[in-house]
Amino acid sequence: MKLNKITALASALALIAGAASADSTVRFWYHFDNADNPMNDLIAAFEEENPDITVEAENIPWNSYYDQLYTAVIGGNAPDAAMVKMFAQPRLVEMGALQPIDDWLSEWDGADGLQDNLLTLTAGPDGSQYYLPVQYVVLYLYYRPSMFEELGLEVPTTCEEFREVANELTRDTDGDGQTDTYGFGFRGAKGGHDHWASFTLGAEGVSLTDGLASEAGVAGTQFVADLFQEDGVFPPSAPNDGFQEIIGAFKAGKTAMTIHHIGSANGMVEALGEDVAAAPVPECGGGRWTAFGDESTAVMANAEDPEATWKWISYLSSEGNNATFNEATGQLPVVKADSDSWSLHPQRFVQATVDSLPFAEMLPSSNATADFVNTVWPTQMQRVLTGDIEAAEMNETIAELFAE
Amino acid sequence: MTDATATDTSRHDRQSRRATLGRRVLPYAMLSPAVLVTLAIVFFPMVQTAWMSLHDYVLFRPNDFDWVGLENFRTALSDEVFWISLRNTIIWMGTTIPAQLLLGLVTALLLNQQFPWRPLARALIIIPWALPSVVIALMWVWIYDSNYGVANEFLLRMGLIQQSIPWLADPDYALASIILTLTWQGFPFFAVMILAGLQAIPQSYYEAAAIDGASAWRQFWHITLPGIAGVMMTAVLLRLIWVANSFDVIFVMTGGGPGYATHTLPLYAFIKARTNLDFGYGSAIAVLFTMLLMVVVVFYLRRTGKAVS
Repeated sequence: MKLNKITALASALALIAGAASADSTVRFWYHFDNADNPMNDLIAAFEEENPDITVEAENIPWNSYYDQLYTAVIGGNAPDAAMVKMFAQPRLVEMGALQPIDDWLSEWDGADGLQDNLLTLTAGPDGSQYYLPVQYVVLYLYYRPSMFEELGLEVPTTCEEFREVANELTRDTDGDGQTDTYGFGFRGAKGGHDHWASFTLGAEGVSLTDGLASEAGVAGTQFVADLFQEDGVFPPSAPNDGFQEIIGAFKAGKTAMTIHHIGSANGMVEALGEDVAAAPVPECGGGRWTAFGDESTAVMANAEDPEATWKWISYLSSEGNNATFNEATGQLPVVKADSDSWSLHPQRFVQATVDSLPFAEMLPSSNATADFVNTVWPTQMQRVLTGDIEAAEMNETIAELFAE
Repeated sequence: MTDATATDTSRHDRQSRRATLGRRVLPYAMLSPAVLVTLAIVFFPMVQTAWMSLHDYVLFRPNDFDWVGLENFRTALSDEVFWISLRNTIIWMGTTIPAQLLLGLVTALLLNQQFPWRPLARALIIIPWALPSVVIALMWVWIYDSNYGVANEFLLRMGLIQQSIPWLADPDYALASIILTLTWQGFPFFAVMILAGLQAIPQSYYEAAAIDGASAWRQFWHITLPGIAGVMMTAVLLRLIWVANSFDVIFVMTGGGPGYATHTLPLYAFIKARTNLDFGYGSAIAVLFTMLLMVVVVFYLRRTGKAVS
């Protein structure tokens, strides 16, 4: 018995000593929704190539990811590297939380292999490069071909057509007096700004930083409000619906259309087979707007071993590894070679993404963007949907936020 | 008196002085670890919060810590969301606690009766109280779900409603739905406390009352209620403070939405500080709420003081 204890203790010590023998440790924060998390495989492969570096990767829940990251930065306990989105960049740069990666980038072979323009798109507000892209998506319209065929409908290309089609698709299919299918699954909770933006920011002269309170801008918000209040084409739970709800409702046949990106395509195909297709979002107010969903990695300013940290993040954006990474997230690789050999998603979804690229835009590189995404948009939109305030008031509040 | 006796007496005096000193110091020595920990993890952050509330302190500009005096408080008092949150907080506390108390009282009275499987029932009743808040919140989000929730299914089948109600997405129902959840979560605490109080009432009182011909209602009014009044009062005060401070269930269920329909003051302070990173303003809201709550705390301390004396 005693001998067993001693043996156990000795092996524990040996393990600790083995772990501690690595020269540096890279603490990495990321967020994956996918339960089949391939991060361990990537880490094992990386550590085999770099025996002097240990990677401690931590999957942080998405809902509180940025709350935790900012608090950790302030508390002096930030990770060495983190997955980051563009909307957070101005704030992180202002906090002095990021390290410029320009010097490493200029010496890195992989830089030329990245998709064109991605480094320009992710450039920092002060001209330095802080972000290294790791995946991207573009939002488009998902729809159920069978429901469209049954009613003889065409996929809408303008907001006017969208409204007509959504109204037709909203119906009681079994005659019990209850609506069984709704035209569109609208995301009224946090993260739904992309839906609203597609209906609002396409209008000429309207953006988050300019012209939002104009007649054209308000018309977009009013359009969304009318779809819910007058037409009833969103499920009644729309004001509180988040990602899980809109995707769940679409898969269950409760909604006929919704907006999301290729990240959910495989799950949809698994649930619906061929009965799910994609198209670019409709043109509203004379133009189209869809969200370019970015994800990068960054070396944090407090990284203990910046060189090792850079090695790790550049590893994730290198040929082959980037494909493995994106197979888990279900998004699209940033490395051209991985993109060319990409076969993870059915072609129709890749096509919708490519077709949407020309008018895909990112949220403004402003300090106000984080508040817009996290609190201002969700509360204002919910208030409009539930009739608490008018569309104009919402647009004015957002315009004021960006004007500050 | 001989020399020997004098030496003996002085030694005895010294010993008794040392014993007295020891007795005086010992309680402080024993209490000091707990006091020190409380000072470090409760009192220090409290002072820090009060200090931050007097500054313009936004976390993503960590180097700016400008003194603004009472500006944050002035902003709060003219902030529409502050008043909406205060109103919701009053409704929320004013209905949740009496509902928990009533349900707890009825449950305790039932559990005090003789029936088979009583120990099992007593153990089961504690489940809502023992479950983590996040689990409760997620469970009830599913119960209230407008597409698949059992609440709608049940009411539709009973013919009580004609259309599914989006319980948490409709501002008219959202707060009430959360209050129901919190009532369910908190009533076992009252049930257990009141049950303990009930068991402390001597059976002979009831026997005497029965001999005098007192009805069950009069027995309840004149024996049971006075017997458990003290326990009930303490439980209500404790629960007031706990409920006032908790926002986890609301945060998980609605995040304060739709709009501001389920915003309460602690939740608003949390969102301002943690999501918007505006620690100055968030602290000011927390301080204002603490001052309101202080009235309850003072009342509680006076009560416990009386009980001790």
